[in-house]
Order: sequence, then C-alpha cells, then structure tokens
Amino acid sequence: MISLVRALFSGRRALVVIFVGVLILYPVIRPYDIYQQTILLLAFLLAVQSVSWNIISGYAGYISLGHSAFLGLGAYTAAIIAMHTGVNPILLAPIGGLVAVLAALVLGSIVLRRRSHAFVIITIALLLSAQAIVTNWKSLTNGSDGITLALPSWSRDIQAIPFYYLFLLLMLITVVFSAQIRKRKFGTALLAIREDEGKAAAIGVNTSFTKIVAFCCSAFFIGMAGAVYAYFITFLNPIGMFNILGSVMIVLAALIGGRGTLWGPVVGAIVLQIAGEAANVYGGGSDTRVLLLGITLVLVVLFMPKGLLPTFEAWWLRRHQVTVEFTNQIGALGKGRLEFQNKLKLPTPGAEPVTLLDVRGVSKSFGGLTAVNNADLRVQAGSITGLIGPNGSGKTTLFNLITGVMPPDKGEIWFDGKRIDRLKPWERGHRGLGRTFQVTRLFNSMSVLENVVAPLPDAAWRTLLSSAVSGHEADRARHLLDYVGLASFADQSVGTLSYGQRKLVELAQVLMMEPRLILLDEPASGINPSLVEKLAGVIRDLNSQGVSFLIVEHNIPMVLKLCDPVIVFSRGSAIAEGKPDDIRRDPLVLDAYLGDEWKEAPAAHLRPVTELRNIRGV
Amino acid sequence: MEHLVQSLILGLLIGGVYALMASGLTLVFGVMRIINVAHGALLIASAMITWYIWRATGIDPFLIAILMTFLMFGVGWLLYRTVISRIGAASVSMSVLLTFGLALTIEGLLNVFAGNKFRSATPSYFDQSFRLGGLIFPKTQVYGATVALVMLAALYFILSKTWTGRAIRATSQNPTSAALIGVSATGVAALAFAIGTATAGVGGSILSVLYPFFPASHYDWISRLLGIVVLGGMGSLPGAFVAALLLGLAETLTATYISLQWATLVFYMTILVVLLVRPQGLFGSQLREDVAA
Repeated sequence: MISLVRALFSGRRALVVIFVGVLILYPVIRPYDIYQQTILLLAFLLAVQSVSWNIISGYAGYISLGHSAFLGLGAYTAAIIAMHTGVNPILLAPIGGLVAVLAALVLGSIVLRRRSHAFVIITIALLLSAQAIVTNWKSLTNGSDGITLALPSWSRDIQAIPFYYLFLLLMLITVVFSAQIRKRKFGTALLAIREDEGKAAAIGVNTSFTKIVAFCCSAFFIGMAGAVYAYFITFLNPIGMFNILGSVMIVLAALIGGRGTLWGPVVGAIVLQIAGEAANVYGGGSDTRVLLLGITLVLVVLFMPKGLLPTFEAWWLRRHQVTVEFTNQIGALGKGRLEFQNKLKLPTPGAEPVTLLDVRGVSKSFGGLTAVNNADLRVQAGSITGLIGPNGSGKTTLFNLITGVMPPDKGEIWFDGKRIDRLKPWERGHRGLGRTFQVTRLFNSMSVLENVVAPLPDAAWRTLLSSAVSGHEADRARHLLDYVGLASFADQSVGTLSYGQRKLVELAQVLMMEPRLILLDEPASGINPSLVEKLAGVIRDLNSQGVSFLIVEHNIPMVLKLCDPVIVFSRGSAIAEGKPDDIRRDPLVLDAYLGDEWKEAPAAHLRPVTELRNIRGV
Repeated sequence: MEHLVQSLILGLLIGGVYALMASGLTLVFGVMRIINVAHGALLIASAMITWYIWRATGIDPFLIAILMTFLMFGVGWLLYRTVISRIGAASVSMSVLLTFGLALTIEGLLNVFAGNKFRSATPSYFDQSFRLGGLIFPKTQVYGATVALVMLAALYFILSKTWTGRAIRATSQNPTSAALIGVSATGVAALAFAIGTATAGVGGSILSVLYPFFPASHYDWISRLLGIVVLGGMGSLPGAFVAALLLGLAETLTATYISLQWATLVFYMTILVVLLVRPQGLFGSQLREDVAA
C-alpha cells in the first residue's frame, strides 16, 4: 500500500519536473515562435494571479471578484515611478507588490475582521473604485489618456523571451509560495476557516488575523507581476488595467483547474489562455468574449465545480484503490500515557481548592426566550464536573457563552483568575479552554491527521508557520491519534469515519490545544457502550494528568460514576450541586429532572444505558 | 439656497428609484443568502427591452414598465428554476460565482444583439420640467420616482398582507422554522427571486429614460446597489429604502458641489465606511453566524 502511494507521489513529482522542464526548454528549441511564446507568457501571468487568488478564495473560501485590481495597482505603481525616475519597471516589481499588499491590508482589516458576506462586495468595489480613482486623479496617473513607457531595450526579434522567463519564474515562485502556505499550519487554518469558521475559532485559530494575512499573501505576487506586465505592454490606461474581465479570467482559471488545489490554477490558466486565443481567432473576436466567458463560468460552476485536477485525481484513485486496515480499537489507551508539552500543575492533595472557571450571574436571551438566567457555576481545578439538566435548560448556550461563540447579555466569566467574557473564542482557547460539540464538527475536506494538526495552541507566528505535514506538530498529532486509537486512520478523509470515531478525533483535536479545562458537550451520545467505557477511561487518564473537565451529558450512569461534583441545571440556572450520591437523592433534582422512574431503580446498580431524554421529568 | 433645496429634492427623487432597484437585491439576499451580482445586468436587460419596445411602438417607457414587471417576473422565475436552484444556498461562494457568470452572460448577449453603444429612451417630454417657484424638476425624474414609489408600495403590500409575502419574510427571518410550519423553501426562493427580478424589470424601464446605458453599464449599477444594500443592512428592506434615499442625496450633492466624476465614488466610500463603523448596516441585525466569529 505504502509503495503504491509512494509511486503515485513520485509519479506526481515526475509530472511536475517534465512540465516545468518543457516550459523552460521551449524558447530554446523554438526561439522565433514569438506568437506562441506570447500566449504562454500571458498564461504564466494569468497563473501567477490565479495561484495567488487561490490562497484567499480557494484555501480560505472567501471569493474575490476584483483580484485583477492588484495587477493594475502594481503596474501603475511601477509605471509612475519609472516615469519620474527612469528606473526600469522590472526592478520596481517588489514595490508594486508592496503597494498591492498595502491595499489588501487596508481592505482586509475593514472587511475580514468578522465573518461576513461583504467581502465579495468589497472586492468588486476595489476594482471599480481603483479604476475611477486612476481615471480621475489626472495629475498622478494621466487619467484616461494613460501612461506610455519606454520600449524594452532588447532586440525586437527576441522580445518575448525575457518576459517569457520572467513570468515563468514568477509563476514558479508563486506556486512554491502557495505550496509552503498549504503545508504549514497557516494553510490548515485557512482550510479550517473555509470549512467551518466558528469551529476554527474554537480551536484557537485567530480567524480575523489569518484571513487578513491570507488576503495580503494573495496580493503580493500579482502586484509584482503587474510591474513586469507594465514593461511588457508599455501602455497603461484605467480601462485596460482595471478590467473586470481580468478578474473573470483569474476566477475561471482557478475553477477550471481546481479551486483549492496547488497546481489546478496553473493548469486552468494555460487551458483558458489557449482556449481564449483559439476563440478569438476562430470565434467572433472580442465581441463574443464576454458572452463566452460568462457561459463558461456558469457551466463550470454548475457542471464541473471541482475542476479538472480533482476530477482527474478521483478517477485515478478509483482505478488504484488504497485499502486501510480496520481500526485497532484496543489501541486506545494501550500506547502508554499522554505526555503534555507544558506540564500542567497538578493540584496538591489536601490543599485549598482553586477555582479554574467561575461563571458569575450570567444571562442570555434570544428574543423573548431566556436561555441562561443569572447562572452561577464554578469548576475547581483538577475536577471532573458534571452538568446535567433537561433538554432546553440552557446547558449548550452556557457552553457557547463560556467559549465565546456569543457574548452574554449580563454577568462575568472568569478563567484562571482572569476575566474572559470579552475575549475572542481563540484567545480563550490559547488560555487553555477547549471544547467539543454536541454534534461533531470536523473539517470534512481534510484528512484525519490534518484535522488534528489544525488547532493552534497559541498566537505565536512560529506556531502558525510550523509544518503541518512533518516535524513537531505533525508528530504531536500522530501521537494524539495513537492515544485515542485512530493512528491507522491518519491519512483517511474524516468522511469515512463512524460517528464514534469522529467524536474521538474531535477529542484529539482539543487535546492538541493542550487545554487546562475541556468542555465536553454530550460526549457519550450516539456511540456504543464499549466506546463510552473507553471514553470514560480517557477522561480519567487525562484528569490524572491535571486536565479539568466540565461535562454535559444525558447518560446519567456515566455522569454519576465519573463526575464529582455534579451540577444540575434547570431553566437557565443551577439548582443543585453536590456529590453524585447526594444528587441522586436530592428531592429537588428528582423532581426537576430525574423523574419518578429513577427512584425505583436501585442506586447501587446503575442501569447500563439510560437515555433520560425520553423520561418526562418536568 | 434654492440651489440646495433643488439638489435635495432631486436627490430624494433619484433615491426613490434607487430604493426600488435595491429592494429586489436585498430581498433575494434576505431569503436565500445569495448576493445576486446579476441584478445589475437584469436591470440593463430590462432597460434595453424597454428601449426597443419604445422605439418600435412609441409607447411611453413608464407604461412599458408594467409589462416589464410581469415579463421579468417570468424571467426571474425561470432563471431560478433552471439555473440558480441547482446550486442552492448550500455553497455561498459558488452561488456568487454563478450569478457573476449570469451577469456576464447577459452582458454578452446584449453586446451581441444590441451592440456596444450608448442608448437612452427619449419620450416627448424628456426635456420638459415642472416649475415650482424658482425650482425646476425634470418631468422624467418626477415620473420615474412616482412609478418607483408605486411599485415599492405594491411590494410592501405583497410582503405584509398576503400569505405568500409573509412566507417570504418568514423564510428570510428563519428558514428552518419557516420550513417546519410548512413553507416550501424552494417555492419561496423561486418567488423571491422572481419578485426581485421584477423590481429590476421596472427599475430598468425607469433607467432607460433617466440614464444613458450600454451593456457594460451593469457594473456601475450593481456597485451602486450593493452600496445601498450594505448601508441599509444586508437583507433589510426598510434599510435599503432609507439607505437609497441617503445615497441618492449624497450622490446629487457631491455632483452639484464637488464634481460629477467623484459622485460615483460616493458609493464605494460608503461601503468602506459602513463596514468599518457599523458592519451590520443601518437596519441589519447582527446575525448569530456573524457574531460567531
């Protein structure tokens, strides 16, 4: 199996080497094919833009419809400086790139701070307003008359060749850049944002910052290419440089090749440029260009949304199927203890209990419904605290308030001696607060290993830029997968996992954050009894290493066996708290939640599986 | 002073027309969470059809607006059933690309069939004005705003007084609950898209008289309308109405006191400032999903 994967990968590498080799050698073999060289160099230029676009719109899923504006900005920057100083525009390429990044930074900081549909709107506005500004700011840009640059100094016969190699080089650098992003935790974070932005924030990804950086990354090489392009065409005007069709080509190239893949945009750019040229020659010329592009875009979105490369890859994988041995369920806990990187302080036995989480008088209403009503709740360091209560009593809303999914209307939340109720979800994660969800939320397009690598335990650049496929972070993730017994699934897609296995992956994900307190939302629901036992074992093991837990669960036998203390929630606030045995006998609790049926059961022999949801207690 | 009063009133008249055009865009977003980038192209298509009918028959363009309402309603319904519904709201990013593709397709069709040149419908009264004291109001502006306001009133009636309209608003507020009480999501979406397109139909007829247009004008229009929708709060109809009046005023004042060229930039700057200061817009409530991250 492994040899087959290796064969595929080496096959892929060989393909890349042949592809790049042919492109490098082409002008050497046919130096006078100026027309063909020009088409190819324009394809490289398009590829630079499309590969860059793919960083924000493919990896992170935020669609930009105005990306060609960065080309215009780079071109105008270089042209204006060249006009005044006489410096060759090619040498000004880095400045063009920086101006593009600056524009992306300003717009990104405005629109990408939160989760919003407005990004696509602002990218259209960027393109059209850049065009309007360049047209109207005549003193700087010469308005609609445009700027004419000096012709390149080299001979006309080989005119295209230097540009051919410049754009080829830029394209390769951009691809390497994109590959590096994809390989690092930064890239995994972008994919996480695309799949489930709320979940990404919960596992420590500073979504605002990550998106803004990605937008800047997606602008730089386009700005550079713009400077070179200015020298190539030697004449710039607002209509030509800030053309929406340029953006359409960028989007189309990425879609045709495969949005979100590394080489897809390159393949798409070459296919599209050549097809476009053919359409110009054999079709109706530029009149029908808009129509053809529009129809192509509609058809691609409707009928080939994944693009050429992923479609081809799926076909290849169907023909060369890879089988994975079934999970070794006994593997869980069998591989020794989990070693935390930052040793957690174990509470000294007998010492004064320390409050880790302190919820003080917190309320939250949705319209007329008060979900959490002046709730107080404490979790002691080193405890496994259970939280039970009928459905609709506000437990999950409380979790959402604690982890920062939504702000409380009233009250304070303190964690480890600091007030956290105004912090962003990821900041709470970095302080050591982790959670799982009632219904698992995994990133379905990623492998199991990538899912576990994705969390960011801190806000450091070093963590963000560390490798996600090898090295320290990947090793930790593999170790955690081993710990929960899913090591042999590391390279599978999470879509192939059973529900119980998904829960274990989500737990491993949380552990990657090295949390001090883990909030588990119904960890035992929907999984088989033997897995429940295993889960309880994992929780105890982690607890013995100093991790505290707050567990919402309807599986009462599990809660009563595992948790101490147990808090009972009803109608938005805690009505009782105590040792499991006391809770079991508390008449108030019995009345509110456990119901008459429970009293008849002998307390010493807990029933194996009791789904109390079905018992009408209130 | 008279100059200012005149500018203010003209701004409001234009704002009324903008309000109608933007209402369809914000309605579709509210119900389907789809940013219909093709709305501007549909507007120009309707203007073009109106122009051809006016040219061939001489019927007043503002009367053709009635025909365009029904025609574009049908076009919208068909577009939804045949194209848009294949994507659904499942993938927001793909739906934006789809409507963008539609916009280009419509522009391309207009290019091929009508040619890439400026047009404008000029009914007999196009250079006449109403005079009130020292104030001058072009008849076209007054009629245009009147037609727009009548259509907006009709839209308000449909959405608040009919079962269909209430189903649309319910879906807009909470799709899951609306589905639970028996509202068919696709049926409502098709209707909302058709109604949205119908507003572009009337808006296009008005546009054909008030502004010169050509196939690629739709970029300019969609960015104006998006500016309005962002300012009003995405998905909010009252918000779009107020925002349209405000931006109509701002544009007219800029054109009068600064320069015509910079007037178009008002919309782009508005988008930036609104997103910076109040991202949910004037009337938009912050969605739970927006709070989430």
